[in-house]
Amino acid sequence: MNVIPKVLVTKIGLDGHDRGSRVVAAHLRDAGMEVIYTPPWQDIGAVVKLAAEEDVDVIGISSLATDHLIVPKLMAALRAAGLDDVAVIVGGIVPDEDEATLLAAGVARVFHPGAGLDDISSYIREMVPKLRAQRFAA
Amino acid sequence: MNSGDGNARRASALARILDRDRRAIGHAISAVENDGPGAAGLSAAVTPHAGAAHVLGITGPPGAGKSTLINALLGELIRRGKSIAVVAVDPSSPLTGGAVLGDRVRMGEHGTHPDVFIRSVSSRGHLGGLSRTTSRIVDILDAAGFDVVIVETVGAGQSEVEITAIADTRVVVCPPGLGDDVQAIKAGIFEIADVFVVNKGDLPAAEATVRDLKDMLRLRRRGAQEVPVIKTTATLADGVAAVVDAVSAHGASAGYGRRLRAPRPSINGGADGTEAAKRVLRLGAREPFGLAMGLACVEGGPGRAVVMATVGPQHLNFNGTCHGGMLFTLADTAFGLASNSHGMIAAGIGAHIAYHVAARAGDVLTATAVEVSRSRKLAVYRVEVHRADATLIASFTGTVYVTTVANEPQDVKEH
Amino acid sequence: MNKPLDSTLLQPATGLTQWEKDYAAQIGVDRSSENRSGLTIKPLYTAADWSGERAGEDLGYPGQPPYTRGIYPTMHRGRTWTQRQLVGLGTPPDYNARLLDIIGQGATAVSLIPCNSVFRGYDMDEVHAELLGTCGVVANTVEHMDACLAGVDLAQTSCAMNDPSPFTLLAFLLATAKRRGVKWDHISGTSNQSDYISHYVANHMFFRIALPGARRILGDHIEFCNRHLPRWNPMSVVGQHMQQSGATPAAAMAFALCTALQTADDCVARGMAPDQFLPRFTFFFDISVSFFEEIAKFRAGRRVWARLIRERYDAKDPRSWRLKFHAQTSGVDLTRQQPLNNISRVTVQAMAGILGGLQSLHTDAYDEALSCPTEFGARIAVATQNILREEAHLTDVIDPLGGSYYVETLTNQMEEEILRVMGMVDLAGGMYRAVEAGVVQRILGESAQRFQNKIETGEQTVVGVNAFQVDEDKSARPALAKPDPEKMRAHLAAFAQFKAERSQAAVGQGLDALARAANNPHDNIFAQVVAAAEAGCTHGEICGTLRRELGFGQPLAMV
Repeated sequence: MNVIPKVLVTKIGLDGHDRGSRVVAAHLRDAGMEVIYTPPWQDIGAVVKLAAEEDVDVIGISSLATDHLIVPKLMAALRAAGLDDVAVIVGGIVPDEDEATLLAAGVARVFHPGAGLDDISSYIREMVPKLRAQRFAA
Repeated sequence: MNSGDGNARRASALARILDRDRRAIGHAISAVENDGPGAAGLSAAVTPHAGAAHVLGITGPPGAGKSTLINALLGELIRRGKSIAVVAVDPSSPLTGGAVLGDRVRMGEHGTHPDVFIRSVSSRGHLGGLSRTTSRIVDILDAAGFDVVIVETVGAGQSEVEITAIADTRVVVCPPGLGDDVQAIKAGIFEIADVFVVNKGDLPAAEATVRDLKDMLRLRRRGAQEVPVIKTTATLADGVAAVVDAVSAHGASAGYGRRLRAPRPSINGGADGTEAAKRVLRLGAREPFGLAMGLACVEGGPGRAVVMATVGPQHLNFNGTCHGGMLFTLADTAFGLASNSHGMIAAGIGAHIAYHVAARAGDVLTATAVEVSRSRKLAVYRVEVHRADATLIASFTGTVYVTTVANEPQDVKEH
Repeated sequence: MNKPLDSTLLQPATGLTQWEKDYAAQIGVDRSSENRSGLTIKPLYTAADWSGERAGEDLGYPGQPPYTRGIYPTMHRGRTWTQRQLVGLGTPPDYNARLLDIIGQGATAVSLIPCNSVFRGYDMDEVHAELLGTCGVVANTVEHMDACLAGVDLAQTSCAMNDPSPFTLLAFLLATAKRRGVKWDHISGTSNQSDYISHYVANHMFFRIALPGARRILGDHIEFCNRHLPRWNPMSVVGQHMQQSGATPAAAMAFALCTALQTADDCVARGMAPDQFLPRFTFFFDISVSFFEEIAKFRAGRRVWARLIRERYDAKDPRSWRLKFHAQTSGVDLTRQQPLNNISRVTVQAMAGILGGLQSLHTDAYDEALSCPTEFGARIAVATQNILREEAHLTDVIDPLGGSYYVETLTNQMEEEILRVMGMVDLAGGMYRAVEAGVVQRILGESAQRFQNKIETGEQTVVGVNAFQVDEDKSARPALAKPDPEKMRAHLAAFAQFKAERSQAAVGQGLDALARAANNPHDNIFAQVVAAAEAGCTHGEICGTLRRELGFGQPLAMV
């Protein structure tokens, strides 16, 4: 079966700098993935609902100001809704000390500025079949 | 779920779907979409529970404001206490299979309402417009107990035919000042509309468009059931209540569950369709000119052909955009293949093209030719050239003279 | 008899041919060179490219149209640029301390960046507390503004408010001035974020009111300022957002000019005279590290603006013809890798802006790619400006690159490219319609991806990212400055107390009047925003009321 990864690219919190999320969304599309793209400022609840309805494999959060600080809240909300098998990756400006906090909260990976687009797409492409296999094994 | 038993798991999944569990519905749609393990069994299990939802098909040319209208409809239906599911079909790139499913976002703020469920579906290269599996996705949402299921389709190609099979009530959205879009509407969508909506009614051309549509309806559908034409400004929700009223009235008289009664649409139109599809691909593969220009025929059917090309530096004009001759070649090739799909030599006798948007180097273009009319001697084809993001680049109309001479030697077909 | 001189030395044409031959022989494979705006750059420019024949009409002299060489006769030799550093962090007292510090170091004007919650139209009690004050100051009331500007003489200090529609921060500033007995006609500064179009397109900071409502509020704001605030610039056209979100330098200039024309058209439609509002239009641009291209962008932009304004509006006042602008060094060019390298980048960017003839400059802190700037980083940014102004002799000569074959040719080419993009916007029915139709967003998205692809493929080198990488000691990176949670809790508590204690009747009346104004096209919405602020209404209440009455701003930018 040909696996087409389905990825939500979004921004939570207050910041509106969306160049990064748009470039990443377009790249993932060109890499053959199905991308749900949202504008910035999504509520955590809206992201959880969207992820469930669209049954995405991965949620990519772009954070260029300080919105990564509420990612732990998103992780808790996903767990509460039974979406713990959705991988969350964060891209953008995340100081080192905060990265540790995010990983501890269950974030799969943090991509920093300068990460290649191909790094992001190959990471997702490798991860998704494993995620799906786990889901079916459950 | 630790049970390895497929039946038990299915029963549990079904129970959760009937309970309108978002996560379970989301998983079930993916299973159907990916034709994954258990998809067929799941489909069979939900069908007996389907039939109570009113299925609305919403279609129309790109840019008509379908998503904005759906947002306004969601607001109005929520106000009336309805629960609504939306299936939004977005085009995918035929080359990479990738897609940005953006319609959900254009549908605006109601996506977060607890009584609304939105699912984006990629057309996955199925250029007819509707995802092959949409009908089965609708079954799941119907079984989950949504009062209304809205199916939004890419407004191009053959979607009009497919939506007929799925939707109980078909709404066609027109932008004001139709212009070339009149052609699009005349050519197919026009016949299937149960309700017309002229969107962006605040623009001056809207009134004229309403008048044109009513005139055309009088001419074409003399004696048939009255088809309402409603003007809306979907951003301000004006006229939207009237649309909901008209749609509900139609649904009440026509009944729900049309798709469950009709035979499921076949993908390629049966044995004849398969033969025509193969013929188009064979003809496309042996045309020196098209091949030299870098064209590829990717799909065919009776009276239908899809040809693709990527705009390269050799296709550019002195202004750095795609040469008109290239666009014509692309459209003309699709036209030639579609008109020859029936097995007889069809000779072009005239064609006209309109260029709408400049194409640039790197753009992936798709020309889709469909048969508009066919008589003993003459046949007319409409070709639309789209960019991968569904922007209409050019539209083309061509006429052929149909001969009785086979266009392939007998032995070719045997292979 | 002496040997005759080599004739190639005497005949320039032959000299050029000879050079071409020598160049071709020695260069081997010539790398193709294209600037960010997509223009091909040749290895050498000569009199064959720019002869100076049209110098009179194309360049003129500083302070003379078409202002290619600068909008004032004295330029930086007379008065150097305004050093305007954006500041904003934490609570109003935090902000005030930082502000006084920066003024003490030489900054000559005040700039205020509010917290993202303010940009989004919310009060501090409406958002996740973790995010408060991390990127700007949390100012929601007149009291907060008063505290932010404690010790600042409002009659003497130019204040730039990073304050999008509906301009509540300006309203708080005006109320503060009134309390301190400072007359409004002494208040000077700029509404830095008044360009709602750039917010829609580049989706940068804020999103509050749907496009038609945002358009009306801007008109009301300009009208109000014309009447009551003679020293305030109500319209700042933000080309910076466009370029930061991926427009090429030429396209960003084109979009900014189109936005200005759209706003001017809107003002004329309201019956305002062009010479009444145009002198108070200011521009805000990005400066990338593409040095000559940026200089040419500014020179070409001034020329296009001067010509268009005279042609289209028959403006008589020379102040209307002058494109005066603030510029900020580009944050997108900064890298997380080897962050100290960013100091060099900012220096080159700032030099391009200065040589391009800017009026006001913000230099980014080197650590912006890591976090919101630290105090340490902000100090180096100020010092960079001081060094360029005081040590580098950059300000001795006006438009020092004028007459350079390359810079003049590039200026002409950038002008052509700017006009080409402007033509596309015109075809779409002007900036407002083009944005509604998504035309601008598409152009911008495509160039953003094109540039990213160049980095990915290595065609564009970024030091430390795709070339010259080194192993870094991460401990050398500065720690993120986070606001003191204790102070923020106290700020929240004081806010709750303020809301409980103010006159609820006055607040109710203020918001009712605002709602009525929103539905009455003959009323001035901004006048009611000012009245509401004076009545004790908060930022979130004012924005919420307008959001309800005029519709929520739906994001338009797509992939």
